[in-house]
Amino acid sequence: MSQEKREKIAVDKLDPKFKDQVAQERGGEMIVRCFACGTCSASCPVRQANDRFNPRRIIHMVLLGLKDEVLSDDFVWLCAGCFSCQERCPQGVKIGDLMTALRNIAVREGHIHPSFTAQMNLLGKAGRLMEIGDFENKKRGRFKLPPIQQDAAEVRTLLEKCGVLQPEEVQDRGGG
Amino acid sequence: MKIGVYICHCGINIADHVDVEAVRDFAKDHPQVVIARDYTYMCSDPGQDLIMRDIEMERLDRIVVAACSPTMHERTFRNVISKSGLNPYFLEIANIREHCSWVHHDRTRATEKAKDLVSAAIAKAQLLEPLQAQEKSVTPSSLVIGGGIAGMQAAFDIAASGFRVVLVEKTPVLGGHVARLNRTFPYLEEAEQLIGPRIEAVLNHARIEVMPFSEVEKIDGSVGEFSAEIRRRPHYVDGEKCDRCGECLKSCPVDVIDDSNYRRNARKAVYFPSTDGPNEILLIDTEACLHFKDQSCDRCQRTCPQGAIDFTQEGRLEQVQVGTIIVATGHDIFDATKKTELGYGKYQQVITAAEFERLTASWGRTKETPRIGDTVPKAIAFVHCVGSRDKQVGNEYCSRVCCTYTAKQALWVRENIPDSEVMVFYIDVRTFGKGYEELYERAQKRGVIYKKGVPSEIFRGGDKVVLRGEDALLGQPYEKAFDLVVLATGLIPSQGAQSLKNLMKLSLSPDGFFMEVHPKLRPLDTAVDGIFLAGTCQGPKDIADTLAQAHGAASRATTTLFQGKVAIDPVIAAIDEGICSGCGICEEVCEYAALTLDPYRRLMTINTALCKGCGACNSACPAGAISLKHFKPEQIIAQVYALCMGE
Repeated sequence: MSQEKREKIAVDKLDPKFKDQVAQERGGEMIVRCFACGTCSASCPVRQANDRFNPRRIIHMVLLGLKDEVLSDDFVWLCAGCFSCQERCPQGVKIGDLMTALRNIAVREGHIHPSFTAQMNLLGKAGRLMEIGDFENKKRGRFKLPPIQQDAAEVRTLLEKCGVLQPEEVQDRGGG
Repeated sequence: MKIGVYICHCGINIADHVDVEAVRDFAKDHPQVVIARDYTYMCSDPGQDLIMRDIEMERLDRIVVAACSPTMHERTFRNVISKSGLNPYFLEIANIREHCSWVHHDRTRATEKAKDLVSAAIAKAQLLEPLQAQEKSVTPSSLVIGGGIAGMQAAFDIAASGFRVVLVEKTPVLGGHVARLNRTFPYLEEAEQLIGPRIEAVLNHARIEVMPFSEVEKIDGSVGEFSAEIRRRPHYVDGEKCDRCGECLKSCPVDVIDDSNYRRNARKAVYFPSTDGPNEILLIDTEACLHFKDQSCDRCQRTCPQGAIDFTQEGRLEQVQVGTIIVATGHDIFDATKKTELGYGKYQQVITAAEFERLTASWGRTKETPRIGDTVPKAIAFVHCVGSRDKQVGNEYCSRVCCTYTAKQALWVRENIPDSEVMVFYIDVRTFGKGYEELYERAQKRGVIYKKGVPSEIFRGGDKVVLRGEDALLGQPYEKAFDLVVLATGLIPSQGAQSLKNLMKLSLSPDGFFMEVHPKLRPLDTAVDGIFLAGTCQGPKDIADTLAQAHGAASRATTTLFQGKVAIDPVIAAIDEGICSGCGICEEVCEYAALTLDPYRRLMTINTALCKGCGACNSACPAGAISLKHFKPEQIIAQVYALCMGE
């Protein structure tokens, strides 16, 4: 649902219970309070960089019941979590928490952004979100810092125990 | 004892779910009951006649009516039995509608419950005691607290009805917020023309005693006989001697930011407190004056040709006796510095709507076109809902006036600065009153642009300020520079009136404004008999609504004064002086300040006019010295016993 191609809203396909589902989710409780003042979108730094992320619009889509559009599109994953919107929202909608709630629902319903899968795999493999190679260790050596061993066994165990990664999933499954 | 029991069908309301004949027959079997009847509508004229006839024919002593809630018809039936010569308090109502037929659908069990309720009522009826309503006389005058447009109108109405009024105003001048406006919406009349004659009318009215620069410090008594202590603060200028020459102003070395003019200008420590100068008494601001600080200056005293400056002047405490009180303490304006992201107090280009009024008013102190530095602003933005509908600052409510005054101000700009660009940023536009929508449309027709979506922040951009926001209809962000931004600040509860809340035991609604007894049925009454509300102290409202309420409150207040006496409900607490130890626990639980300790006899005494018969004290009394008439312990225990012993 980007700015360019706007289709008619299929009224018969709306899910009026979607907002209740979101309101049941931790962080989404306050969604029905929104009176569409636009303070969130106006505060949002992501919004300024990317037209497709618009908190006010996402809230309205949820209230309208555009469930598939909200969950399958990747815009809920674009939120940077700066919480400017949450600070300023006059109705106390808790938009930052709401985005987390939407992501949680999306994951449960089988929609996960490929970049997140890639990040988790990287974390399991390298123990951090950035691979450390010779270049980095050489740089560290210049500042008399010890080299970092590329061993992520502990992190991997943690992730596996938490159920984030399956033991065989550690192989690279391709990033976003 | 002869008891008559009357079971009402309430059409089908009761009869459909309760077997009324069975309840009637059950009641008939009671040894004390001589007659039991059922009827379609007991409250109807034939139903009432039925009871009256029985009382005369059967010489009944007590009446039990099993019908709807006592809130509905207790008074009706009391009148009925009173007409037949019985004491009106020889009536007990068994609520078999709200407490039974409306909430139960199993007919058999509902009938059993109705029988239990009736037998409990019969048990209590046997122990009922005769009570007499008392009357007391009313002091034929009123106290009006607050000299804004609401208080002045209420005072004027009461005085016009022929009663004496004391009008207390905290600030040195009458007029309140309206006196500081430019024009009023929707017909754009000059506020001065509206308020000026009213101030004169109140000041010159023979029956209105105006006490400016005064505060109510204490209120005792109850409806009909309130007694108030009012502190009159000193001006330090003798009003008799002062000829308003203004020499003192020239001599004063201190400059003070003028709060009363929304900080738009400076004044001296000695000053004329209102905008219409020479007609009023000068005043010394003790917080700014050097003499009151360290006695280092007495220039004004030395300069004054009349010798009117008197640093030793003292305030005085005055006692007034009144029958009724009207609270018209008004509101404060939201402090826009609390919305830090909007830059108020940081950028001179950002002002509040109240300041805009002072800047544009053709009268008063500032007398300037709104200017930023030396230039007349061309691009002007108005931002709605600042401090209203905002849970972040704790004000959930809509302030009701901002949408329309913004339309008025935006229109003023378009008409007075022809090449201006005016944008109003809104969430919703609520121009709900008579002629308000037309004003909104007039503003739009004059070229005011309305944009949905309020700015999230305001920041500096050269010598302008930039609003960043989203046009919520287009879904597009905007960043636009303006020469002047006017914040439509909302109305908040008056901070100065908070002390009155404790003085009079008034309650507040969740928004912090004074609470009326019932939002629809008793919108002007407080929970304290004889105290009424007028104007924005009860909630945000415009001038038209404020005046309607002021007229109403004045009418409510004079009703009691015209009566000349008030009835006191006899269902109130009574103290057994043989048991009371004067411990004072009851005094703490009493919401109505009806209990006081008699220090000489070490006993609690009850102000029968204040007591509401709520029963808090008699349940709190550790010695059981207090009982509530008509709800005495033995009466209630008899009821409980009947309920528990029923089959």
